[in-house]
Amino acid sequence: MKFFSQSHFYDDPWSIVTLAFFLRYPNPYASHVLSCDVVSRSFSPSGTLLTTRLILKRGAMPRWFPKGIITRAESWVVEETEVDPFGRIVSCKTRNLDHVKIMQVEETVVFKSLPDGTTLQHTEARVRSGFGWGLTKRIEAHGLNKFKANMQRSREGVSLVLQLLRQSRLQPMAIGGPENSLIFPAVSSPPTVQFELSETTPRAQNSWSSRLKAWLRRD
Amino acid sequence: MADSLAPACTPLKQEYDSCFNMWFESYLEPTLTNASESQRKAHYARKAEEFEAKCGKVYAEYQSCLHGAVKEKGIEPLLQQAREEHPLREPLPPASPPKTK
Repeated sequence: MKFFSQSHFYDDPWSIVTLAFFLRYPNPYASHVLSCDVVSRSFSPSGTLLTTRLILKRGAMPRWFPKGIITRAESWVVEETEVDPFGRIVSCKTRNLDHVKIMQVEETVVFKSLPDGTTLQHTEARVRSGFGWGLTKRIEAHGLNKFKANMQRSREGVSLVLQLLRQSRLQPMAIGGPENSLIFPAVSSPPTVQFELSETTPRAQNSWSSRLKAWLRRD
Repeated sequence: MADSLAPACTPLKQEYDSCFNMWFESYLEPTLTNASESQRKAHYARKAEEFEAKCGKVYAEYQSCLHGAVKEKGIEPLLQQAREEHPLREPLPPASPPKTK
């Protein structure tokens, strides 16, 4: 298993960074994001907003990877977030749903408001492979390098959306309206995250699976 | 706004996203910073009610469309399988599914 973590600071206040994070797809740095759907959106008992999104990303296998194992270089990713507007914190956990025996990437991202009005983003990633055949370590190292490169792009995407939000706030029209939606040539990829808050831990357990399960069982 | 996994659901998804985004901005910025417990509850209750009133209908339509598409596309078994193999639990799931070894 490979582990990685990094912190990043945004000069903007937490609420606008959070909005940008939710709006980050599509953006030109995320052309590998093919679709993004909300499969569950609800309020926790305490009132925080819980969202589960299902995202389809296009990937590419490294040249050294054995041929014929993966026929579809796409991956479904589930992203679960909790937004606490009073605590001014967002926690987000993302992981891939398919190809998990080859490689599982789990990312947790937290956005936290700081006393000086700026925002801290803390990202952690765990990459693990159960592939075997002498390739496990190589796959994990490759996955981690890709993650680092993608994280940079993801951040650039969020920064671009932030910039557009700042501009839109100087105008009366709110962002997200049909005539004023973010117009980009392509879709984006989110950072995936997992974060553990002591007070949300009991709820975090299985919340992803129970929400997905509830959603699948509908109708 | 990103496309839906089902092109047929994209218009509903975008309509829903627009509605959500407008609502979300006000959800994110409660007017009271040092709110008491009861003030928080009141904010959350008001916002939940507002969300239902403004976006509830289009959300239901979007979910209904999406649900059909997921079944049709055969993504459902993948989601089910992933959930069974890797139930998300703290701190982290095992490196590989226990049943394979």
